[in-house]
Amino acid sequence: MTMETATNGWEEGRRPPSRFAEGLRRNLPGYLFLSPWLIGFFCLTLGPALGSLYLSFTDYDLLSAPRFAGVSNYVHMATADPNFGAAMKVTFLYVALSVPLKLAFALAVAMMLNRGMRGLPVYRAIFYLPSLLGASVAIAVLWRQLFAADGLVNDLLWVFGIEGPSWISNPNYSLYTLVILSVWQFGSPMIIFLAGLRQIPADMYEAASIDGASKRRQFVKITLPLLTPVIFFNLVIQTIDAFKAFTPAFIVSGGSGGPINSTLFYTLYLYQEAFGYFRMGYASALAWVLVAIIAGFTALSFLSTKYWVHYDD
Amino acid sequence: MTTARIDRRQLLAGGMGLALASGLAPMARAAGTPIRMVWWGNEERARRTTEAIRGFEAAQDDAVAVATEYMGWDDYWTRLATQVAGGNAPDLIQMDYRYLFEYVGRGTLLPLDEYLGNALDIEDFGKENLASCSVDGKLYGANVGVNSFGMLLDRAAWEEAGIEAPEIGTSWETFAERCAAFKEATPRRRFYATADTSGQGNSFELWLRQRGKELYTEAGELAYDADDAGEWFDYWAKLRAAGGCVPADVQAQFKNSLETAPITLGTAATDFAFSNQFTGYQAVNKASLDMTALPVLPDGAPGHYLKPSQMFVVSSASKAPEAAVRLAHYLVRDPAGALILGLDRGVPASPAIREALLPELDEAQKKSVAYISAIGDLAGPLPPSPPKGAGEAYAIMLKISQEVAFGMIDPAEGGRKLVTESAASLTR
Repeated sequence: MTMETATNGWEEGRRPPSRFAEGLRRNLPGYLFLSPWLIGFFCLTLGPALGSLYLSFTDYDLLSAPRFAGVSNYVHMATADPNFGAAMKVTFLYVALSVPLKLAFALAVAMMLNRGMRGLPVYRAIFYLPSLLGASVAIAVLWRQLFAADGLVNDLLWVFGIEGPSWISNPNYSLYTLVILSVWQFGSPMIIFLAGLRQIPADMYEAASIDGASKRRQFVKITLPLLTPVIFFNLVIQTIDAFKAFTPAFIVSGGSGGPINSTLFYTLYLYQEAFGYFRMGYASALAWVLVAIIAGFTALSFLSTKYWVHYDD
Repeated sequence: MTTARIDRRQLLAGGMGLALASGLAPMARAAGTPIRMVWWGNEERARRTTEAIRGFEAAQDDAVAVATEYMGWDDYWTRLATQVAGGNAPDLIQMDYRYLFEYVGRGTLLPLDEYLGNALDIEDFGKENLASCSVDGKLYGANVGVNSFGMLLDRAAWEEAGIEAPEIGTSWETFAERCAAFKEATPRRRFYATADTSGQGNSFELWLRQRGKELYTEAGELAYDADDAGEWFDYWAKLRAAGGCVPADVQAQFKNSLETAPITLGTAATDFAFSNQFTGYQAVNKASLDMTALPVLPDGAPGHYLKPSQMFVVSSASKAPEAAVRLAHYLVRDPAGALILGLDRGVPASPAIREALLPELDEAQKKSVAYISAIGDLAGPLPPSPPKGAGEAYAIMLKISQEVAFGMIDPAEGGRKLVTESAASLTR
């Protein structure tokens, strides 16, 4: 009954409430339910992010108050910091290698699993496992053991009479071991690909094979085009992830980004500047440059969709 | 000593420490004047320190309740800086020589002179030791132990190769000859006479000091030139070419932790470390280790020095500085506390404590104390304190030594590069 009096129109003579107030009244419970996330977003994400934007224009070493320094951090980055260039090079190479390889591998495995084999859930779980462990320290430590001079990989090569180098501590190979580590964690794009493959109507393939199209032609003409929205999604997510990669390089190089900066991921360099040398202002500037780079890449991806992504409905 | 070191054990300890800290910290047990103490270190250090603190609490007439926090080296400095910046500084802080000047310079530490001789009765540490914990003539720290850089030897491996192992007074030239001969003589595969220390600032510093130079001047500028550094890289490049030290990719596996050192991984018969790390190295090495001084320059100056490895300092914001000072005294000079800490933080500076400690030491511990006593004649005065940015200079040295070792640049260019990049890091 009380509900009725509250909602059944307004007593005569009273001004109807503004649309804003009414909207708020109606949605208040919703906002209340959202509040844990909202508070977290404003206090723990947006607030500190804006704070770091300010800090990026200062010199700040944690112990003394930040001193305003204009754009000097950005100027130093662009003109006088050899490590910045090194970190950029390593990171872009890592993104350029690991993302396409990982997506291709994930798609291949997804297609294999999509052929309706028995025990599919089990295989799916097994293939997904590395992704769950992915960012963990334990896996990075395992990788260090695998690719060390006396690691498992070299023991295997030794069987074939090859004396392998220490892969992770040789600047010529160390980055590639991390690319392999990333490709190995193909689980989450694979699951998404698998779901995408399920969406493709089977009668298309039937019609194609009746018309005499080869498997390869079916893949190129049916599977790929219909999968492009999923490929696009995976591409964006994986690119962002790859730019943000940190743990593997941190563990494998012992935090140094070495040997000779060969695994100096951008985020690792940022971490060194912030927590190794207490240059919080400079590190904040580095962080914002990374934000700009990721935003730029994501925007480019979205702009490119009209040339290659097919939404068929 | 290192800016970025992490190994499995520390990680695990760090993780567990974090889990504990988030749930329980700060852990104060008894009621009384509350003070907080923080340090970096492993489980073993935590066990010893906590035990000593419980003893301290029990021995006080007016109750003091000590809350403790500890973590790994990497997290420590971030966390400490954050706490001090946030007005939440711990009362008693374990401090490293490298950071002392920075904290004193910002007025965050309490001068201890008024307590010296009464609450802090550490005058028997000696003038040099007290001076090493002072800034501008004021005492800020109670030293917990001294150490010195040195060379670890797997003597059995040298004997097996039939080559005479280096000892105190062996020259750099002789050392190189023996290392090269070692490669020919040792029966082991992929095994070398020595680790490659060309990227370790501590070794380079000794080499410089023997030539009458230093890493840094009093004013905090570089005190060596490109030729000095080039010569240093050249010495190791020649040794590497002769098979006298481990190849570049083997040395690059060293991540500043004793588990990843060439001597521990079984690729070298000699390695380089601080004396307070000796027992740690012995614990993870199957072979029995010895410790000796680095090679010398004939008729050169002393390269080694006794470093105050760690000290306890008191926050200037402490509400109970007296209690904090009493705890510091208990830990470094009262036999009841100092004997529990043992050698974990270095060899105690007080002769009386050292004397009392001797009978309780095991073989490895005795060796590290003996080493500190033995290099007495080789030890010179303490070098000027490292300036801000010195931590990064260590990382730069490592990187450039690897560029030389992997043959990307020649030693002379390495020397020039080291000077340019280190100087740039100091001025930032």
